[in-house]
Amino acid sequence: MRRKTTLWVNLAIVGIAVLLAAGPAAAQVKIRFQTWHWNEKPVFFALEAFQQEFNKANPGIEVVRDDSRYADKETVYIAQSQAKAAADIAHFLHRAIPLLAERGYLMDLTPFIEREGGQKFLAQWDQNALETCKYKGKIYCLNDYVNPLALLYNTQHFKEAGLDPNKPPTNPAELLDVAKKLTRAGRYGMGLIGSRQEGLFMRFNPFFWGAGAEYLTPDNKRSALDTPEALEGFRFYVELFTKHKVVPPGVIEQGAQEVRTQIALEKVSMEVGVIQAPLIYAAINPNMKVNEVMAAAAIPSGKKRVSTVEYGMRVISAFTKHPEEAWKVYKAWVSKDVQLRNFKIYGVMSARLDVKNSPEIANHKFAKIFAAQAPYGKIEPLIPEWPKIGDATITAVQEGFSGVKTPEQALKDLHIATNRALGSQ
Amino acid sequence: MRSGRTWHDRHLGYLFVLPATLMLVAVLIFPAFLTLKFSVTPEGGSGWNLTLIHYQNAFRDPVLLQTFKNTFSFVAWSLVGHFVLGLGLAMALNQALPGQTFFRLVALIPWTIPDVVAGIIFRWFLNPVSGAMNPLIRTFIPSFPADFSWLSNPTLAFPSVIFANVWRGYPLVMVMLLAGLMAIPRELYEAAEVDGAGRLKQFFHVTLPGLSTIILIALALDMVWEFRRFALVLTMTGGGPGTLTEVLSTLVYKTYFQFFTFEYASAMAILMSVVLFILSLPYIILVGRER
Repeated sequence: MRRKTTLWVNLAIVGIAVLLAAGPAAAQVKIRFQTWHWNEKPVFFALEAFQQEFNKANPGIEVVRDDSRYADKETVYIAQSQAKAAADIAHFLHRAIPLLAERGYLMDLTPFIEREGGQKFLAQWDQNALETCKYKGKIYCLNDYVNPLALLYNTQHFKEAGLDPNKPPTNPAELLDVAKKLTRAGRYGMGLIGSRQEGLFMRFNPFFWGAGAEYLTPDNKRSALDTPEALEGFRFYVELFTKHKVVPPGVIEQGAQEVRTQIALEKVSMEVGVIQAPLIYAAINPNMKVNEVMAAAAIPSGKKRVSTVEYGMRVISAFTKHPEEAWKVYKAWVSKDVQLRNFKIYGVMSARLDVKNSPEIANHKFAKIFAAQAPYGKIEPLIPEWPKIGDATITAVQEGFSGVKTPEQALKDLHIATNRALGSQ
Repeated sequence: MRSGRTWHDRHLGYLFVLPATLMLVAVLIFPAFLTLKFSVTPEGGSGWNLTLIHYQNAFRDPVLLQTFKNTFSFVAWSLVGHFVLGLGLAMALNQALPGQTFFRLVALIPWTIPDVVAGIIFRWFLNPVSGAMNPLIRTFIPSFPADFSWLSNPTLAFPSVIFANVWRGYPLVMVMLLAGLMAIPRELYEAAEVDGAGRLKQFFHVTLPGLSTIILIALALDMVWEFRRFALVLTMTGGGPGTLTEVLSTLVYKTYFQFFTFEYASAMAILMSVVLFILSLPYIILVGRER
């Protein structure tokens, strides 16, 4: 009997202690901030600085780290959303927005934006970028970065090949000519992405769109891949590898990081890359004097001047239990100070106009070139069927690269697959 | 006899299996039911407005049909590889040799390596620029091209993935066959030897009949597992070049998590489960008979 009483007393003490310990924490709202960048330096430093600064300034709210991986960020978020347990704030690229919005996983930010001043508040952002946040009349995000692509090239290799480093190629024919001259002594002129990842579109699309091609008809109802322009752009990209052999072997196995590694190790002289690439080259090969050796230029895209662009954004989950607190964190993340600091730490260009047009970017060797590409930025059709069409595009490019099909046949099959995905066959 | 047992005695067993049953319902039956329901729900729909459109689409989908063919081919060649390598090594490791335990452990190593890691290892190993395969071949055949592409080659990509899968998966078959070999009585071999049977005859008339049940069980289990192989293919090729190495599990994954067409992916998953069930019937029957 006495033993039983002692047990109950002990349990009560432990219970009270747990309640006391949990008391202050219960008052603290935790906002899960999900991104694949938590494990990536130097981005991590920017996240950590934001987290510490915000938590210190807002005692009632705690920003907590929530990891995802780049390759399966959507997978994780969908699974969590289906369980109504998604992170309060999550990081995506523009392609995912229509799909997640269509499924009802994202919070409509319109009421918060109205409270902040509506159109006047939104006017602070790059309006092209903001379009990627809108879906069926609602706004689901405010872009925090815009990532236009440019041609990055090794000026030293240009000199060694007898080329003028101040005259980068300005059209596909010149690009091919330069790439041929740079392909020498175990080195290749151009690095291309052929593996199954989003980065492929970023490199393929400028040449495809530059030739005057489009994926879909203007109403987004049918494939527009049966045009001579589409074949011209498709063939140019594929034949850089198959016919002209200015691309390293195993192109289908090359992702963005592999190509950056080849540039950093000076096995490849040129690539179409992102603004952060020079920092990555330097991290891979600290002996490479990146700022001196590398230069950036507009992508020599063809008849039309086009750059691909990637828009990054955070979203608030439709299932968050703390929408007000989540918005507070969100607003802080897209504030001018935080965005400018992000540029300084990891070279990413903000979609906020006051940061994008700041002296810090205007005077930066690489950033100013990339910023100048933004007005020519173009993105794939923002429709829920895009992932399927995009996957079929990668399949077609890989079939072209590997010689399974001729470029003509691969494109013809892509045209059929696109119409099938759109349900218009 | 029966009258001696109380209600409590007769029903206590059910109580004991209840937690496991509830767990099974929660993690297996409920998700399976949801998948089945998804597969007959119109895209983006909910409730009980059901349709068979996704199954109709599945039978007309050339990518799915190609993927079924790829999967059968992948499973068949993997099974052949696992069996040949597994049996060969099991017989070698069944010999009374010095260091037998050490070699048995070494032979098990590929089984301990996760699929993703094995995929990354082989992807690097076969890389034409930075991989080890080409330099290794060139040490024996100097004229072999230094930049030979394995995974980008439409003829060799699929065999390369199967090669990696054979390496990764043979230990399971090997262990099962080794256990079977150890259970064959020595006297049978001695009697065969007395009757004048050579090594080859002993293999066909003693070893193989002695292992027949184990071989069937090992291959049936292996077939089911290989049918579901996912991470190795995804990390090595992502299904490429094109769709040449696409298998069912990677296609279902892509359709669900990348194309966001949950309903169609669910229909594919159900079709895959039906095929898997049919393929595992021999195993189920065999195990039933053994009991």
